[in-house]
Amino acid sequence: MKNRLRVLRAEQGWSQADLAERLEVSRQSVNAIETGKYDPSLPLAFKLARLFSKPIEDLFTDEA
Amino acid sequence: MNCMPNNPATRRYARRFFATMAAYVVVILSVVSSIKHFQPTGTLLYILAVLPSVPILGVILVVGLYLVEEKDEFQRNVLIQSMLWAIAFTLATTTVWGFLQNFAGTIGFQPYLAFPLFWFFVGVATPFLKRRYR
Repeated sequence: MKNRLRVLRAEQGWSQADLAERLEVSRQSVNAIETGKYDPSLPLAFKLARLFSKPIEDLFTDEA
Repeated sequence: MNCMPNNPATRRYARRFFATMAAYVVVILSVVSSIKHFQPTGTLLYILAVLPSVPILGVILVVGLYLVEEKDEFQRNVLIQSMLWAIAFTLATTTVWGFLQNFAGTIGFQPYLAFPLFWFFVGVATPFLKRRYR
C-alpha cells in the first residue's frame, strides 16, 4: 500500500526515530511502513493519522 | 531475537530467557551428577530424566509471553514469520533425517534436538526477513 508518511514526516521535521518514538514502535517499523513493505494494522494506521491530524485516506492510498 | 530493539518487552524477554537458561544449566548438572552418583532406577530415574526438559519448555512460555507483550506489531510479525520458516525447515530436516535413519541406517536423530534446531532456523531466518523489509 502506498503512503505519504515520508512527506508528512518531513513536513513536521521529524526523523524516522522521532516518529518511531511517538508511535512507540521501532525505527525499523517506521521504515518498513514508509517504504510500503509493511502495511500497518488499523489501530496503528489510526494512531498515525491522529499523530498527523489527518484522515487515514490522506496517509495511505489504496493502489487498486 | 538479538537484533530486536531495546524495549520493555524485549528486556523482559531477555531477563526471563537468561533465568530459564541458568535454571537449565543448574538442573542438567544436578541431574547428571545425581544419576552418576546415586544410579537411581524406576520412577525416580524417570523424574530425573524429565527434569531438564522443564526449563527448556519454559523457553516456549517465555517466547509466548514476549509475543503477547511486544507492542511493536512489525517486530512481532517478523518473529512470527521467522518461526513459521523455522517450523518448515525443522519439519523438513527431521522428516528427511527420519527416512535416512529408517532406510539407510544413518545416525539416529534425538527428538530433543528438534528444539535447538528450530531456534537455529529462527536465527537464520530473522536477518533474511529483516533485510527484506529494509
